[in-house]
Amino acid sequence: MYRGDGYEFVELRAYVPGDDVRRIDWAATARAGELQTRVVLEDVALTLAVLIDDSASMQVGRSRTLLTAAEEAATAWFGTARGGDRLLRVGSDHAGPPHVPVATAFEMRRALETARAALRRGTALLAIGDWYELDDRYDDLLANLGAWCDCTAMIARDPWYDGMPVGGIVRFAGAEGGMLRAFVGARERAAFAAAVRAREDVLAQRFARAGWRSGILHESDGVASLRAVFGVPA
Amino acid sequence: MTFDAPWVLAVGAVVAIGLTWIYRLAENRIGAQALRYSNVAFLASAIHPRPWLTRILNAGWIVALCAVVVGLAGPHLRLPVPVANGNVFICIDTSGSMASTDVSPTRAAASQAAARAFVEDAPAGIKIGLITFSGNAELIAPLNANKDTTLAAIDQIPSPNGATAIGDALRLAATQFPPAGHNVVVLITDGVNNTGVDPQEMAEYFGAHHVPIYTIGIGTPNGDIIGGEESTIDEHALESYAEVSGGAYARAENAAQLRDALARLGRETTIEHRPVAAGFGFVVAGAGLLVVTMLSGLYVGRFP
Repeated sequence: MYRGDGYEFVELRAYVPGDDVRRIDWAATARAGELQTRVVLEDVALTLAVLIDDSASMQVGRSRTLLTAAEEAATAWFGTARGGDRLLRVGSDHAGPPHVPVATAFEMRRALETARAALRRGTALLAIGDWYELDDRYDDLLANLGAWCDCTAMIARDPWYDGMPVGGIVRFAGAEGGMLRAFVGARERAAFAAAVRAREDVLAQRFARAGWRSGILHESDGVASLRAVFGVPA
Repeated sequence: MTFDAPWVLAVGAVVAIGLTWIYRLAENRIGAQALRYSNVAFLASAIHPRPWLTRILNAGWIVALCAVVVGLAGPHLRLPVPVANGNVFICIDTSGSMASTDVSPTRAAASQAAARAFVEDAPAGIKIGLITFSGNAELIAPLNANKDTTLAAIDQIPSPNGATAIGDALRLAATQFPPAGHNVVVLITDGVNNTGVDPQEMAEYFGAHHVPIYTIGIGTPNGDIIGGEESTIDEHALESYAEVSGGAYARAENAAQLRDALARLGRETTIEHRPVAAGFGFVVAGAGLLVVTMLSGLYVGRFP
């Protein structure tokens, strides 16, 4: 944190040892007969940082990609900045705010470690991803980052969260590699729906334990998703 | 298994290889249109794929095609079928010793029950006749394929009484057999021939005419004393009748053994293994399996 430009008067109160002597209001002291300190609110400039998983697994979706919604949320996030706030993007090269490069290909652990090393204490960090790689090996890193910054995670909701749009024997190609040929019937659909929901719950619990707030990134609307995370009405 | 047209198998193998190749091409096209998902590792762990489903479909195709190809090649299977023009005479001893109770309830009753089971289990089309003998032989039922008639005749078997004229019974059977056909004699007796024609001569006669005599000796080794005489079996003679005529001898010391012996005889004398054209069955079964596999494939979204 560092001091900003603006000040806003709040109250006068009796001087207590340790008060900045430059804050002593001499006129009020004369009137009161004892030392008075002016209490003001400082305008503190924030650092707003964004970390987006832009790997291939985020470039899927039913009507548009999850990455598109993530970018919307990031834009809205940066849109909350006021004069003096600093904007920073952690991740791959990107037009717009200055960025802290991570690696050629996005890697969540490396991105979080970079964020921890590069961001100032108290930075408001918005991290968006599908978090497939997040397991208990990340707990220490998440907790460390959560104590260092004001962290918010958005979990990209699976495009098939409301149901697998396929049936029968289907070939699946992984966005980041791998193939799977499997029969999809009612049993598989039910198992998939349960697994997707369970994964979201587990991720939310993991973030909560690490001191992060978290919410869901909906493919359809990144801005509304961001609002929902902070409970801001439309 | 033999084939009318073995070359069809070779052609079928070539066609099968061709179809497999076409199938691979189709699969590759499906692969090019694979559905994109963010993380297949998670997907696999979520849905727990059932690979055996696709394996069953593949196996269905292979088995169905093989069945059709084999069927078109004209296979012949050696299958058990009722003997063609089969004639069986059951000759049952009704001499006085058949009243012996060493076989429960009596030898005569046990023989009647076993004969009844024999007739009931015989394949349709087999003609069965019934001859009883004591002091002389009597035709109770002529050869006929109507089981009800024969079963009714079995109920009319007279009570045990008198001597044992095995030879007379065999001679009577010889006069009743048609000149052509698969003729067999089943002889159930507990005694020693003591009147009438010499059964050994009749056995030789039957042997010369390729009519086997299957003899069943009924009774325990000691038997009972009936009318002051031991009711023993002349096993040596019964074995000789069977051997000379090309049949076989079996000993039955109780009702169960008698029933089993007759049942075994029933299978041997009324059933034969002949090459049977099975092409139609193979083709129909293969085509049916093809249809089922196709429908299953359509149902699970994979055809072929």
